[in-house]
This record gives sequence, C-alpha cells and structure tokens, in this order.
Amino acid sequence: MIFDFLEAFNDNMFVLFLFVIGIACAAGGIPPILERNRRRGIENQLPGLLESLSDAVGAGRGLQEAMLEQGRTTPGVLGKLLTETLESSHASSFDAALSAFASKTRSSQVQRVVVLIDTAIQQDAPLQNILSDLAMDYERLNDLMNKRESELAGRGILIVLFVCIGLPVLIAFIVGLFAPAKSGYQISEFNTTFSNFFAVASAVGALVSGRMMGRMRDMLWWVPFWMSTSMLLYLGAVKMIGG
Amino acid sequence: MRKLDEKREILYVIRTLDVLMSSGVGLEAALHSIGKGGYGIISKDFASIMDKLSSGKSRGLEFEIKAMMNKAESDGYRRLLNTMYTNLTQNTDLVETLRKQGKRMEEDRNETVKKYIEDLGGVPETLLSIGMIGPIILAIVGLVPQILGDGAEAIVGSIDQGMINSIVNGGLLFTILGMILIGLKAHTKDPGL
Repeated sequence: MIFDFLEAFNDNMFVLFLFVIGIACAAGGIPPILERNRRRGIENQLPGLLESLSDAVGAGRGLQEAMLEQGRTTPGVLGKLLTETLESSHASSFDAALSAFASKTRSSQVQRVVVLIDTAIQQDAPLQNILSDLAMDYERLNDLMNKRESELAGRGILIVLFVCIGLPVLIAFIVGLFAPAKSGYQISEFNTTFSNFFAVASAVGALVSGRMMGRMRDMLWWVPFWMSTSMLLYLGAVKMIGG
Repeated sequence: MRKLDEKREILYVIRTLDVLMSSGVGLEAALHSIGKGGYGIISKDFASIMDKLSSGKSRGLEFEIKAMMNKAESDGYRRLLNTMYTNLTQNTDLVETLRKQGKRMEEDRNETVKKYIEDLGGVPETLLSIGMIGPIILAIVGLVPQILGDGAEAIVGSIDQGMINSIVNGGLLFTILGMILIGLKAHTKDPGL
C-alpha cells in the first residue's frame, strides 16, 4: 500500500525525496522536544527549591546539608539530580559538586544560579536573602515564559494547520473541481508550480510558528516534514478530486 | 542580533552585579566575574574590557566603559554602562541604582512580553489571508485560458501561456515575500526571554 501510494507521485521526484528527508528529520526533531520538556520541568521547579533552601539556611542549616535534604524531598528530575550529585561529591569538593549539578541539568537558569551561589559563598554574602531574591526573580521569569508559551502555542499550531494543511487542500479542491485532469486539462506544470509554492509557504509558516514560541532551531527539524506534507496533500487531493 | 542578546542578558547581569556588589565585591572584580562567561554578548564585552585593562594599553576603566556605551544597542545595557560610568567618576550609590534599574527593567520586560503576545495575535489570520487570497487568484489566472478555452480569446484576445505562467510565478513569489514580511514581526519584536 505504501509503495502504491508512493507510485502515485512518481512524476514528482522532489516530493518523494523531500518526504524521505522529512521523515528522517522528524525523527531528529523528537529529542529536542523531549530535552526541552525536561529542561523546562527543572526550571519550573527551581524557584521552589531556592525558596526552601533560603528557609533552611535562615534556620541555621549549612547550604550543603540543606541542599541534600531538599534534593531528597523535591520530586522530579531536579531533586534526583541534586541528590545524585551531592551524594557523589564525597570524593570531591562542594564547589565541584555544584558545578557538576549545573552542567547535568543543561539549563542556563540553573547554571547562572549555581555560579551566583558559588560567588556568594566565596564572598561570604548573606545567602538567605540572595536565595530568596533569586527564587522570586526566577519565579517571575518562569511565569512569563509559561505565559508566552501557553498563549502563543495555540496560535503557532493554528499557523501550521492553516498554511501546511488547510491551504493546499483548499487550492487542490478548487483546481480538482474546476480543472480536472480527467477532463483533459493540462495542469501538470501548474501543479508542479503550486506544489513548490506550498512547500516554501509551509517552511515559512513552520518557522514563523517556531519563532513565536521561541524555538525556531527545534522547528528546523520539522520543516522538511511539513514541506513534504503540504506538497503530498496538494498533489494527492488534486489527483483524488480531479482524477 | 546584538540588541536581542543584550536584551536577553541584561536583567541577569544587573541581578548578578547587585548580588556581587552588595556582598562587598568591587566593580572591577564583579566585571571580571561576569566576563568569565554565562551572560552571552555582555560577558564578551566585559572580558574585552578586562583584557584591555590587564594589557596596560587602556586609559582606565571609566574610559573603557564609556567606549562600550557607543557599542551598546539596547537602552537597558546603555543605561547600565552609564550607571557604572557615573559611579566611577562621581562615586554614586551603585547598588541602590542597580536595584532600581533591575525593578524597572523587569516591569519593562513584563510589558514587552504582554505587547508581544498581543501583537502576534493576528499573525495566523494575516498569514492565512495573504497565503490564501494570493494563490486562489493566481490559480484562477493560471487556469483561465484552459477553463474558458476559445471563449478567452474572444474576450481578451490571444493569450500567451508563457506570459500567464510568468504572472503566476511572480505572484506566488510576492505571496511568499509577503508571508515572510509578516512572519518577520515574530522575530523583530521578540521580548528576549
């Protein structure tokens, strides 16, 4: 069935080529999504952890002890990473453990916080206030990031659906209905031009959608997939309706 | 690109300077600490200032900061550099000013994000309008000679298919350009979170 489907587009080598590339790239596009979800999970937990650390330090606990305790009680990846790193730090220094924790999270927010805590420890600065300020700062930042994501995600998906799926199907419907190939209309060159247009339009739509949500680089993986999808939809629908 | 990077990093730089200087670190040491990395373009700028100072070719920190003000593209970064310059030349209360600046910049950031979300509200519809109207009209233009057949020649005279193809191709190209221009709004107005 798959071969029969692909056979139908034999006269459009570019579509078939793009389809294969698109499938391969889409597989490459999944890891960045998973990584982003993991990182955002860690970043959303960070303000809570900092607040708890601030309270514990204010109650007279040492930072290392407080971190270990919070690591055990914090659910999710952040707590697990913190506990693992601090428990394995017996062979090294606390600074080295903090750096290892920051790099394991692969989050710029956590890395900045760790650098700041490290500097504050070196300078003997009031840790309780610093941790509390950082918690509030990052809470506000994450709220903003989450707001942007939730408000713009719908619009981004709408662009992809409109431009990559809706538009090719609509034009294919018009062309197939008013100039069907089975009635002798010579539309092969016309179809090639329009399928190429839909490919470029889909690439633009997908990239705009990615940029809106602040993840254009991740979206680049999906561009060939959406390009081939819109071309296949157009050519397939024209064939289906117009013969 | 530089402006966007500056906007993205400036608030973190202010917060770090605030923490460092509140805990007794001097301005030069704080700049050196930020210059070690982690704050994108601003780290590079501060590292270059420290390099010039340590090479002995510089006339002093205040001159380097003043020179950097000409390079800065965002208002926030320029304001921060100006605050540091004033502190160095007039011995002002830097920590207090940094706190006020941080607060103000955070309010600005909230406003910018809100505006960004509002501004991009109409992008899907506009993209769809341009992406749809253009191809529909051009599809009709491209098919008219075949749909009308001999009737088309009776109405508009002889039709050159090559010319029709050129019009359709040109029109589609303009449609793509229009879509790119609308989409560019998502990039140029990015709040830099």
